[in-house]
Amino acid sequence: MVCPLPLSAVSELRAEAAPPTADAELLRQLQQGSEAAFRTLVERYQHRVYRTVLALLRSPEEAEDVAQEVFVEVYQTVGRFRGEAALSTWLYRLATSRALKHRRRAQAKKRFAYFTRLLGFGNHVLHDPADHLHPQAQLEGEQQLQLLLAHIARLPDKQQVAFTLRHEQELSYEEIAAVLQTTVPAVESLLFRARQTLRTHLQPSFRHA
Amino acid sequence: MPDPAPRPSADEQWEQLVHRWRPPAAAQPRPYFYQRVRARLDDASAARPVWPAWLRRPAYAALLGLLGVALSGDCAALPSAAADAGPQPEASGRPLPAAPGR
Repeated sequence: MVCPLPLSAVSELRAEAAPPTADAELLRQLQQGSEAAFRTLVERYQHRVYRTVLALLRSPEEAEDVAQEVFVEVYQTVGRFRGEAALSTWLYRLATSRALKHRRRAQAKKRFAYFTRLLGFGNHVLHDPADHLHPQAQLEGEQQLQLLLAHIARLPDKQQVAFTLRHEQELSYEEIAAVLQTTVPAVESLLFRARQTLRTHLQPSFRHA
Repeated sequence: MPDPAPRPSADEQWEQLVHRWRPPAAAQPRPYFYQRVRARLDDASAARPVWPAWLRRPAYAALLGLLGVALSGDCAALPSAAADAGPQPEASGRPLPAAPGR
């Protein structure tokens, strides 16, 4: 299911980035309530928002749902946006915070369902979501990938966001710092710790590869 | 006997793994994404209540009611205990007059 992203595709995604002046004009029109500007915004940023959320949630349905929420929030709150950050920075900030919030809620629901099952409330049988892994998932490479996904999900929120924005969206350290409202050295530290944690957990697998 | 292909280093394996972690290039929202966002926005605005959320909470509503009563001026119509007691001499800062016949 997961296949490598060709570098050309990544370059295309980065090339879609609108120049700051175009974004500034778009923002001005949005704040005046222009429907056409909102449509342009959605069409310009939907892929980046969706892919960022998908990288964090790993579920296309949930990613689409959260991406829609992000644009609804943009529409409802753009009047209060003062433009301290770039439009793309604001969108990444909304997308990552909403994705993490969505996952926290889902985990809380799962824990609640687990406890109600333990206590014997509810007669329905709970089961884990279906595992749509290809038979190839038995292969070691796929196991490593599943292991990586599991450990990324356990990283602290800021590390996860930094890792995702760096390795999925290929943002610069400065851009990530703007999204996380922190400094470039702090981003370097977050990424270093994230990679170190992940590689430490995956190292035994690498040794047996 | 030919040498087997060199095994990739741990760094190379790590890079390959991170590469595979990324969502596929074709991953994108379903068609008509904008229309679904628009529909959601219309639903949200239709469902928006007239009163703000904080006013719909009973505690805030009661507090607001009390504040309204306090500021309405009704309290001034009621005689207070302080007014019944008459002027307080200590408050003026002057000494009390001496009692006559002593």
